[in-house]
Order: sequence, then C-alpha cells, then structure tokens
Amino acid sequence: MSTAFPLPTDISSTTVANTASLLRIVAFGLISGAAIASRLFAVINFESIIHEFDPWFNYRATRVLAAKGFYEFWNWFDPTAWYPLGRVVGGTVYPGLMATSGVIYNFLHYFNLPVDIRNICVLLAPGFSALTAWATYMFTTEMKDSSAGLLAAAFIGIVPGYISRSVAGSYDNEAIAIFLLMITFYLWIKALKLGSALFGTLAAVFYFYMVAAWGGYAFITNMIPVHALVLLLMGRFSSRLYVAYCSWYAIGTLSSMQVPFVGFQPVRTSEHMGALGVFGLLQIVAFASLVRSHVSSKQFQNLLAISVVTMGVLGAGAFVVMTYKGWIAPWTGRFYSLWDTGYAKKYIPIIASVSEHQPTAWPSFFMDLQLLIFLFPAGVVMCFRDLRDEHVFVIIYAVVASYFAGVMVRLMLTLTPVVCVSAAVALSTLLDTYVDASEPDVPEERTEANGSSASDGKKTKKAGAAVGSQAGASAAAAASSAISDLVSASKSNAQSRQKGIWGADARLVILLNAIGMLVFFVFHCTWVTSNAYSSPSVVLASTNPDGSQHIIDDYREAYYWLRQNTPQDAVVMSWWDYGYQIAGMADRVTLVDNNTWNNTHIATVGKAMSSPEEVAYPILRKHDVDYVLVIFGGLLGYSGDDINKFLWMVRIAQGVWPDEIQEPNYFTPQGEYRVDDRASETMRNSLMYKMSYYRFSELYGGGNALDRVRNQQIPKVGPTLDYLEEAFTTENWIVRIYKVRKEDPLGRDLKTANAFAQGKKRKRGKPVSRRRAIV
Amino acid sequence: MAAPHTPFLNPGKSASSTGDSVLVILEPAKKAEYSIFLAGLEKKGYSVTLRAPKEEQPLVIEDGVPNFSHVMLLASDTKNFAKDINPQSLVQLLSLGTNLVLTLGLKQNLLTSLAPEFSLLLPPPATPLVSFFPERSDSPTVIPIDVSSQSIPNDTFSVLSSQVNGKVWFSGTPFALNSNPLVFPILHAPVESFAADLSDGSGLVSDALADASEKGGEGLWAGSSLAVVAGFQTLIGGGTGHGADAGPGEDQQARAVWVGGASLFTDEFANKKVVEKVVQERGMKVVENPSGNKQAALEIAGWAFQERGVLRIDEVTHHKVNQTGPVEMYTTNDEIVYTIRISSFNPLTKKWEPYSGLKDLQLEFTMLDPHIRTSLPPVSGKPGTYSTTFRAPDRHGVFKFAISHKRKGFTHLHHTLSVPVVPPRHDGYPRFLSAAWPYYAGAISTSVGFLLFCVIYIAGEAKEEKKSKKE
Repeated sequence: MSTAFPLPTDISSTTVANTASLLRIVAFGLISGAAIASRLFAVINFESIIHEFDPWFNYRATRVLAAKGFYEFWNWFDPTAWYPLGRVVGGTVYPGLMATSGVIYNFLHYFNLPVDIRNICVLLAPGFSALTAWATYMFTTEMKDSSAGLLAAAFIGIVPGYISRSVAGSYDNEAIAIFLLMITFYLWIKALKLGSALFGTLAAVFYFYMVAAWGGYAFITNMIPVHALVLLLMGRFSSRLYVAYCSWYAIGTLSSMQVPFVGFQPVRTSEHMGALGVFGLLQIVAFASLVRSHVSSKQFQNLLAISVVTMGVLGAGAFVVMTYKGWIAPWTGRFYSLWDTGYAKKYIPIIASVSEHQPTAWPSFFMDLQLLIFLFPAGVVMCFRDLRDEHVFVIIYAVVASYFAGVMVRLMLTLTPVVCVSAAVALSTLLDTYVDASEPDVPEERTEANGSSASDGKKTKKAGAAVGSQAGASAAAAASSAISDLVSASKSNAQSRQKGIWGADARLVILLNAIGMLVFFVFHCTWVTSNAYSSPSVVLASTNPDGSQHIIDDYREAYYWLRQNTPQDAVVMSWWDYGYQIAGMADRVTLVDNNTWNNTHIATVGKAMSSPEEVAYPILRKHDVDYVLVIFGGLLGYSGDDINKFLWMVRIAQGVWPDEIQEPNYFTPQGEYRVDDRASETMRNSLMYKMSYYRFSELYGGGNALDRVRNQQIPKVGPTLDYLEEAFTTENWIVRIYKVRKEDPLGRDLKTANAFAQGKKRKRGKPVSRRRAIV
Repeated sequence: MAAPHTPFLNPGKSASSTGDSVLVILEPAKKAEYSIFLAGLEKKGYSVTLRAPKEEQPLVIEDGVPNFSHVMLLASDTKNFAKDINPQSLVQLLSLGTNLVLTLGLKQNLLTSLAPEFSLLLPPPATPLVSFFPERSDSPTVIPIDVSSQSIPNDTFSVLSSQVNGKVWFSGTPFALNSNPLVFPILHAPVESFAADLSDGSGLVSDALADASEKGGEGLWAGSSLAVVAGFQTLIGGGTGHGADAGPGEDQQARAVWVGGASLFTDEFANKKVVEKVVQERGMKVVENPSGNKQAALEIAGWAFQERGVLRIDEVTHHKVNQTGPVEMYTTNDEIVYTIRISSFNPLTKKWEPYSGLKDLQLEFTMLDPHIRTSLPPVSGKPGTYSTTFRAPDRHGVFKFAISHKRKGFTHLHHTLSVPVVPPRHDGYPRFLSAAWPYYAGAISTSVGFLLFCVIYIAGEAKEEKKSKKE
C-alpha cells in the first residue's frame, strides 16, 4: 500500500474517533456562531428594530400574547385593523411564531431575566438559524455522512437565500419555519429508515408546529405524500413506509386541525387531498400485500388488476364529485398562480401586486446561492448513484422546489435547504476523494477501469463515518494540513485501485481550488448579507458625499407624528403596504393592512385613491377616515413610493368597480404613464396624484420641479386640495399625511366653501319656478 | 361610554344658553331708532355693545377667538364695513360658535354676496317686497304679515310663539330659499306680495309682473314661498364620532337669522298700529291693533341667540340586558340596552331641564351601513331619558351607536360611539351538540372496540402461544 503523503500510524482508533467527535462539536459551534453573527449586520448597521411590514404585525401580536396570555391572544379581536370590519386575529393567524417568542419570554422572565420582548423578537430568527443548521446537519447525515452534514450546516448557516428572510429583526414566520421544515423532513426520513412509529410521531409533532407557524406547511403536506407515492410506484412498499407514513399522517393531520386558522381545511381543501389519497392508497396496498400472502400469485394478479382499476376510478370520481358539490374547496387563486404565472395578473391583481410573488429573475439564483447553484445538480446526480429511499426524497424535493423557486421569488426560501444539502453531498464527495491519501497499488493494470471518483467517495464513506466528518470539518474550517493528516490516519486499510490519483500535488490543486471557491463563497455571502439583506426598510440608508452613512428616518418620523399628534382612535387610511407599520408604530386605526383578506375593502381604498376628490370624500367620510397617508419618493428618488404602486391600486379598484375606474384613463393617449404636464386628466385629478404633488413645485421656488423617481418635470401650477388639508410632511417628503376636512358648517360642499373662503364670488341664483311655463 | 360632557358655557345672566355678550353693529346715528329692541335685549340680561360699521374696535375675532357670543348686524344700508367684518369673517364667526343676526338692506353690500352661501336667493338690488293687500294708507312696501298663518317648521316647535299677537310690520327685501335642509323660513312673505322696483312710479310694477307671467312666473320673486325672516342652524357636530370629531360638539353649533329688513326691529314698527277692517253685522269696523313687532323682534333674536329650541345630550350609556355597568365589547347577538339623557334649555329659569318631548328620536347601530335602526322612545317616569333594547347583529366588526336628530328650529343632536362587536370566545360556543351524535357515537364505539380488541388480544395471547408451541 502506498500513500500520497505520510500518515501517522501510531494513533489508536479511539483517539481518532474522540478527536473527530470533538472537532465536530467545535465545527458545529463555529457554524452556529457564524450563522448568528452574519445575521446581526442589521442590528449593527442600524439598530435593534423590527424590519419591513409583516414582522410589525407579528411583533404587535407577540406583545399582546406576552402581556395578556395565550387565551386572550386566541380570542383577540382587533378592532383597530380593517376598520370598521375588524379582524379576528386569533382565528386568522399562524400563532407558532408568537407562541415561540411568548414561551421564550416567559421562560426568561421565570428566571428573572428581564429581557425586552422586542429583543426576543429581533433575535429569534438568528437564534433559529443555528437550529436550522443543526437540523440540516442531521438531515444530510442521513443522506451521506456527517462530513457532508457539517458542510450542509455551514452552507445553510450563511447562504443568502436563507439569510434574506432571517436577519435579526426579520421577525416573520419563515424565521422558524425553515428549521421546522428541515427537522420534519429529517424525522420523516428517520422514521422511514427505521420504520419507527416514534419518529413518525415526532415528525407529526414538528409538522404540527410547522402548521402552527407558516402557511407554507402545505409544502410538507404534499412533499411527504409524493415521496411515499413515488416509493410505492418504484415498488418499494414496505412495512417501514407504512408505519412511518400512517403515524405521521394520522397524528399530524389531527393535530394540525387544532390550529384555529387551519380548522377543517386538511379534510376539505384540494391542497390537502394528496396526503389523504396516499394515506388511503397505503391502506389498500397494505391490505393487498396481506391478501397476497394468503392467496396464490395468479389469483392475486387478477385481483390486483381489477381492484386497482376500480379503486382508481372510484377515488377519482369521488374527488371530482366532492369538488363539484363544494364539499372540497376548489383550488385557491394562489395555488393556480403557481402553475400559470400570468394567472394572478389577470384575475387576482392583489396577489400579483406583491413583489415577492413575482417570478424569479435568473441573477437572483446566483445572488442567493452562488457556488451552491452549480454544485446542486451534481449533488442530485450523486443521489441517483445510490438511490436509497431518502435519496429519492432529495431528488423529488429538488425538482419540486426548483420549479417553485422559478415561479415565485419568495419560494427561493424552500429551495435553499435542498440546494445546501445537495451541494454538501457533492462537495464532500469531492473532498473525500481527494483528501484520501491512498494511491492505487498497481498503476500498470488499467483494464478494469470501473471506479470513478464518485465510487471512491462512496467507498471512503463506508470506511468510516469519522473520516467523513473530518473531511467536512476541514472544509468548513478551511482545512489545515494537520487535519488532513489526521483524516488520512484512519485510512490505513485503503483498498487497492486500478484507477486513481497519484501524488500529493494533484490532490493539492483540486483541494486548494475547492477551498478557494468556499472562501469566495463566504466572502460573497457576507457581502450580500451586509449590503442587500440587512436593510430594515423602515429606516433607509444613503451615503453622504464623504462616504459616511446617512440615515433616512422618514417613516418613523411620520408614524411618531401620528402617535403624538392625533387622537388615539383616529383612523388613518393608506395603501395596504403600510397598514401593519401604522398599527405597530403609530398605534392608530387602519383601513387595510398586509393581511389582505378582504379584496373589496382594499379596492375601496384603491378607489378613493384613484378617484377625484369629490368622489373620494364620501368614501372617506363613510369610513370615518381622519388622516390619509401617502408615500412619495419624488424628492429623494425613492422608487418604492405610492405613485409607482398607483397602477395596482387602479387595477384592484377596477376589478370591483369596472364602470368607474378604468386603467387606460391613467395613461397618456400615447400609452405612457406620466406625471408631468402631459399626464392624463384622470391622473391629475386623482387623489393620489394630488396628495403626492401638492405644493411640490413650491419647494423649487418656481424653478423646475423634478420628480427624481420618474425623471419628469412637474407642472409649475400644482394640484389644489379642497377636501383634504396637509397635516404633516416628513423631512425628505417620503411620507405625507393629510387631514380629511370636516363638513362645512353651512352645508356647502367643500369645494364651494373653499372658493368662498378665497373670496371668489358666486353666480347669482334665481328662484325655481314651481309651475311650468305655458307656451 | 360617554362621560357627561361639560363643554357648555354655564348659563349666565341672560336667557341665552351660550353667553351674554352681544355686539350690535349699527350706525351711531340710528341708535335711537332701535331703543325698544335694545332695551328689551338688556332686560333679558344681555350686555349689549354697540359698534359703528367703520369703527375698528372692538374686533369680532381676536387671535382666533370670538369676542362676543352673539353678533347682530343692524347696519343694513351701510356699504362699507371695517376690515374685520367681511363675509369670510362672518362665516368664521359661525364656525366658532357665535350666533348671528343679519339684516339685509336694499343696497348691495357684503351681505348680498354672503346670502348665497346660506342658500338664500336674493332678488336684484333695490327690489323690495311689494304688496298692495290689504288696502292701507301706507306705502305698498310696508307690509303687515300675519304671524298666525305661518307654517311651523315642525309640529313641536315654532320660533315665533303665540305671544306674538296680530301682525308684524315688515319692509325690506324678501328672499327665496334653496333646498338646503339647514335653512328654514321663520316668517313667510304674504301670498299676494312680490319683489319689485317701485322707485320710479308704479307703472313698472305691472310690466315686471306681466313679463314674468309670460314666462310662467320664472325669475319672479313672489308669493308665500318667499321668506322675509329665515333661520339657519350650522352643521358642526356632524363629525365621524372619531378622533378629533369625538363627542357631540353642540357647543360649536351656531345659529344665524336672516332678516329681510332691519326696520322689523325699529321703534317705529314696534309702535305702529295695524289698521284692520273687521266685518261686523252692520258694515265694517276699523280696528287699530298694536303690532307684534316688539315681541317678534325679541323672539327672532332670542332664537338666534340660542334661547329656545336648544337641546343637549347629557349622558349616553349602554350595557347588556340584565347587567349594569359598561362593557368594552359586545358579542354578536347580545341584547343591548342603550340609554340617552337629553336636556333642553329653559330661557325663563335659565337652567337646563330634562326634556322628554322628542317623539321621533332614532338610534342607528351602524357599521358602514345601519344594521339596526330603531326608535328611541322616552322612558315614562324618567324625564329626559330615552332608552331602547335591541339585539346586536350576527356580524362582528366595529359598530357605532349613532344618534342624528336634525329638526328645524332645534339644535342638532349628533352623537356617535364606537363599540366592537366580537365573535364568541373559544369557550363561548355550546359544548355539546345533539346534532353531533353520529360523531360522538363513532368516537365512543371506536374507543370501546379498541379496548375490547386489546383485552381479547392480551387474553388470547397465551393460547396462541401454546398453539404455536404445539405446532
């Protein structure tokens, strides 16, 4: 036997195992540290603040939960949201996230650690990312070995695709959902491997937690049945599969129905029918195999053929009938939009208007996954080589998640774990192959050239799990040669090979290359995290000419103004994007918010925004609106403002009032969307346009008022407002708040009243004759 | 729960519910012509301040706060006023809660341009009301108007009480009223009267009538649909019941009275006798009655100064049936008791007294649209209390108890109170449903079956083992 480099031979295998175990723990600690630390950019660059939109609701709900207890939270009716409809929060929320924070909060307070609930919320996502890394490690270990597991853990710890939804302050359902997803999958694989009802039940328990935490639980609800079905079709039915699936499905479904928001959906909606169908199919197959053990094979063949056909026809027929009768809810719009990316734009503009529901752009795959995106197919191919039950799972997961990630940006999140797992399998195979110090014994014999690097990898894996983990650790911690030596130490019993790698230099080239790529990956992840994914979006950052950071804090300025200067029960109307923030930061009543459950109500707001003042005013009064808030980026060049979202408001309003609001009216005759003096009449009269550009040209003192987002000149004579009055405009004009004027004391319409107040004289009237003129 | 609100000014010495100070804008030279009326005001307890139209002091509004509770513009023929008296400032006075009495002249002045804002349609300048009936020795522009034949704005209240005897002398401009629910006529013009320019002989009158009759009466200010005195109740308080609009806001409500001619308030008309021919058995007898002007002038001003027809909401309470004390939120289908206490101002005792006289008070339970609209009858035995019981709709949301009582002559009563109606709590639903027996039976039978199976399985195991051993 020859080795490419000298290996110590005097180390006992116990020492090797112990050292490997220690290194694994150290590596895992470092991975957790890295995962948490890289998510803290948001806190360091800005402050400990809740990010974006939805997290503000979760934070507010968590505060209620922490202050009033779980039962009050469950029965919480929020009269300040969706005014005047109100929102039954307890029944329309996935409580898992809030409950988790509540438990942590109560736990810490029980031990007299007075941690602020906000800090728990801010730091929950980074904390759970460490758990995700652990779950991914366990999952990947089941796939290959613990070295691949450590690699996968390191990848998921720092990959931007996951960080984007789990930076500190991004207090959203996804923060804990990815951990739950991975742990459920791990437990399912474990249950399947062992045929263990215990692990099946554990999977069901975590499935329940997942159902309570995220609407994306439907992904698990369909992934596991598809896996089971594929195994069935591959002829891999076994009692292990039966036990694992049935214990998971029965307990998981029953417990998931305990979540108020889910209720009877698992037995009534189409999305859940697959799981039920596979459950039924498994019973049939199990029964069939029981029958087979009792009757002759010829009889059985006939019996099977007949019963399969009958069952299939009956099952499909029942499904169609029940869907038709309405016992099973038809597919929802969100579901259709998964198959037809143009569907939402045509029929449900409210879904299409959300940026994270748009199809993914190609560069974002590289941005979010970098190196992993091209290791990913290699890893999937590796799974085909060994095609055990769990590998089938990864293959299905990879295919399904790739498709969904291409359809919707936000589903990139579900793709990320499988990419990390596959890439880790691929990379650890590579490292296993090249770190292995054994050289082929007989270089001359090349006739039986069967072994490839991949099979090498497999063999090394079988040689001992400790070795693999060493390799993984070395990769994760940018392996030093000392570790490589240690790794090779246990490889004394290397087998003979006809084909392979000779010499340390060839190995070194590949390994350095791989390590170099990993280093670049780390740099890329850190850069993307700190620059792209750590902005709270409540606070904006820009750079001064001298390079220092300038914080634009208009949102909070406006929300605090509302909080300090308006009555507690004042109703604030804004586009729904800002509903949660107003409720969370300004603590005022809102008309619509990010929980877009009532399309008509949103369309009402859209109509008010896109109508002329005199049409909008009765709507505002009917809904008791005291203030209207708009986001305007024209002064600063902030492109996420309401004028850019305006067409969505028009479209959504048009969906409900097609006679009154028509999208083409908001374009110029040439079909351009303009805000300058060529803007259409309807556009210039709309409330949104008026509120955005009210007194904007005065800011330029008669000069050229330039909208920096749309790069258009605003007319010198700006819009006038009769029914609203400006109440507050923030420093950079990003948020503008208008007060709705009360009715005129003399009962005139406010336009006339305003004209009178400005001294305009009215035309003289004549008394109306009560008789008709006799001709 | 609305706490009893106390934004009202304490009743002072005067008969008004809103304040004692009156500013009368009047040419100093003409002060003597109004002595009876002004003395009447002071007798009622008002402190009257006189100000010439062109005088700069005292200001009507100083630093955004009105200086007087009531302003009376008797300088009807003045063309130019001081800077602070203009149509805009008069409207601002109203919105600040100051009551106005405005008298129109024959010439154009600031009131001519202000009148359309109150939905009054004035005839062209210098066209006074003319009537040749009844036959009398006076000029046709000096007209006696019968008060008793006037229509009353509503069945419970009239501005001119029965104390105004006989006829009221009027001379000045009439006006037609647009369909504005806030304005109502206090004194109509006589049926035979019309507006015309008589300045250069009576020949033109017939021309004007003839021209108008060719057009079917279009453009002619004529008949009893014209008013010579009109009342106007401002609308403040019609808010959302939310935020800045919370509370009733009656304290801001003001009244304005438009009078076609300032002469209605003069001593001359107050002392002028009304000559009437009374038909007797033997021929006609000429009777000289005193005019009702003195009393009418005080009552018209009195209504404007919020002496009569002034209502306020003292307290609003609501609770569940068979419970006392307020609740934060109701559950759907709760039985709710709503109670409101209303007072009216008594100008004689100068005190607020419980008022049970409203027969048509309604309560709405509103979320966007009224889900429930029910009458709110007075409770017998409890003066001033109105109460009703109703069932909350089977619909959750933020509902408002809304009272909106707007009757001509009365202060508007407007009150809204938001209360959430929530679905039942998780343990508020019935625990045991008889309709669910099939499911209960299924669950119980499965449990029992499983238990039996276990027992049989465990009990039978030994046998089975023996058998297999034998084999």
